[in-house]
Amino acid sequence: MSQRDVQQAQHEREDIVLQMNEVSKVIKGKAIVDKLSFQIRKGEIVGLLGPNGAGKTTTIRMMTGLIRMSEGDIEVQGHSIKKNFKSAIAHIGAIIENPEFYPYMTGLDNLRQYERMTDDVDDDRIDEVVQLVGLQEAMNKKVRSYSLGMRQRLGIAQALLQRPKLLILDEPTNGLDPAGIREMRDYMRTIAEVEGISILISSHMLSEVEQICHRAVVIQNGKLVTVTELGAENSVSEEVTLTFRVDAIEPAIAIAHGTEGIQVVRTDFIRDQLTVTMNNKNVPELVGALGAAGVGLYRIEENRQSLEEDFLKWTGGNRIA
Amino acid sequence: MHNLKRLVVNEWLKLFKKRSFFVPYALLIGMSFIVGYVIHSFAAGMFGSVYDFTVTMSYIQGLGQVVTIMAIIGSSGIVAKEYSQGTIKFLLIRARSRTSILASKYITALIYGLSLTLATAVALFISGSIWFGFSGAEGRWVDVLGSLGYSYVYTVVYITLAFMIGILTTSGGATIGITMLMLMLDKTIIQKEFYKYMLFPNLDLSVYTDGGAPLPGMTLSFSIVMLAVYVLLFLLAGFVVFRRRDVA
Repeated sequence: MSQRDVQQAQHEREDIVLQMNEVSKVIKGKAIVDKLSFQIRKGEIVGLLGPNGAGKTTTIRMMTGLIRMSEGDIEVQGHSIKKNFKSAIAHIGAIIENPEFYPYMTGLDNLRQYERMTDDVDDDRIDEVVQLVGLQEAMNKKVRSYSLGMRQRLGIAQALLQRPKLLILDEPTNGLDPAGIREMRDYMRTIAEVEGISILISSHMLSEVEQICHRAVVIQNGKLVTVTELGAENSVSEEVTLTFRVDAIEPAIAIAHGTEGIQVVRTDFIRDQLTVTMNNKNVPELVGALGAAGVGLYRIEENRQSLEEDFLKWTGGNRIA
Repeated sequence: MHNLKRLVVNEWLKLFKKRSFFVPYALLIGMSFIVGYVIHSFAAGMFGSVYDFTVTMSYIQGLGQVVTIMAIIGSSGIVAKEYSQGTIKFLLIRARSRTSILASKYITALIYGLSLTLATAVALFISGSIWFGFSGAEGRWVDVLGSLGYSYVYTVVYITLAFMIGILTTSGGATIGITMLMLMLDKTIIQKEFYKYMLFPNLDLSVYTDGGAPLPGMTLSFSIVMLAVYVLLFLLAGFVVFRRRDVA
């Protein structure tokens, strides 16, 4: 290996924040998580997707050392969770399921608890994270009086306190109302930018993951199903599915059938809609042909295959695992 | 060491910040004065001096056992509550070992027990000095300290027992229930040879002060060794389970 190759390999390794190596959890002979491997790179927002009972929470609990691995290992910034837990966990901030605090203490007292459990965190850092999640006003109120949204924010503050390289959020929008969900999403974006850290979000809310994640890791029955880049497929795939709304549907269908490289997927006579799949570069040609034939065009919409459809395809539809 | 100290501060604050924190202290102090007043009113000749009063009332047969009960109730939740509140998750994902986290909890429980013992002793002494005076009080401090020592040993064993049960059951209610049941049964002495190796007859070290023994063949050092063995067993069971358990 040349020196450049070595440097390259070294660089790639440094870029990996979390590495799962064939991690398994076996309880009473049943594999809850089965030889799961994937990685999270620096600055990435990754979604961990799977139907209920797929092993998402078990996976996250193994990452944070709450549950022991039966086999395999997890490395955080190169430190093994198994062999060097304290160094590994120091780079992780997490909220696992609901954020639970000591209800009879104030928000500040709760954060101080975690400050005393962490090296190199002072009161200035507490102010910093409190500001980031916008809880300044509530710091001296007892956590008992907090709404779920506020507790989520305090949970994020708690997770960010130790300046982690990886933030793990387990079902972060569970139980939040739409405004809360949106707020949460904004926070996650801000955090990824301001703090420059990687985020792992486990969820069964596909639209959530689709909106903010760069990559999705899909698991089912504890096994890896697929790892997919999100928001990239449009630029890559040449094939598009379009729905046209026209003023006269019959001539439109005739034109579509008559043009090469176009497949008619669906026709809707009531709404005067026509859905076709075609190569991206032929779209102007079809639009031109429709115009030339005097077919009035009200609307063209792209039918993107949503993550939901992919997800159902990967996980075998509505089969309850 | 610095880290462990900060963990103990955390645990102490978890007890201290509760609104009910002062209730057991208030109860014990109140009882110290009521007992003093009642005895003074109805059996004034019972104690010769404040030292006499403090020594006798600090014993397990006096307020010593009430102190133990308060210590059990107060420290029963120190592990169990973390599980029932769900705060165990945030607690264990820090760069601190489970061993040191649990050790800080045990130390805090011992400090809590000691603070109850001392608060009661001070209250008893004040109460006693009001109603029984200082006459003939030379050199009795040793007796007071001895009496406190015996009842604190008793409290420590029960705190350790409650601590272990709290870890095993992860339920504060079950911990109080089981420990209290044992506390009620521990005065029963079965007159059999094997029984001297059980925990109960060894709990009260004060029985040896006037040369007696709960069962033939038992001595102060025998009981101290037995108690040490039991305490270590309880701690071993607690730490092993706590370190290995999956938090699901």
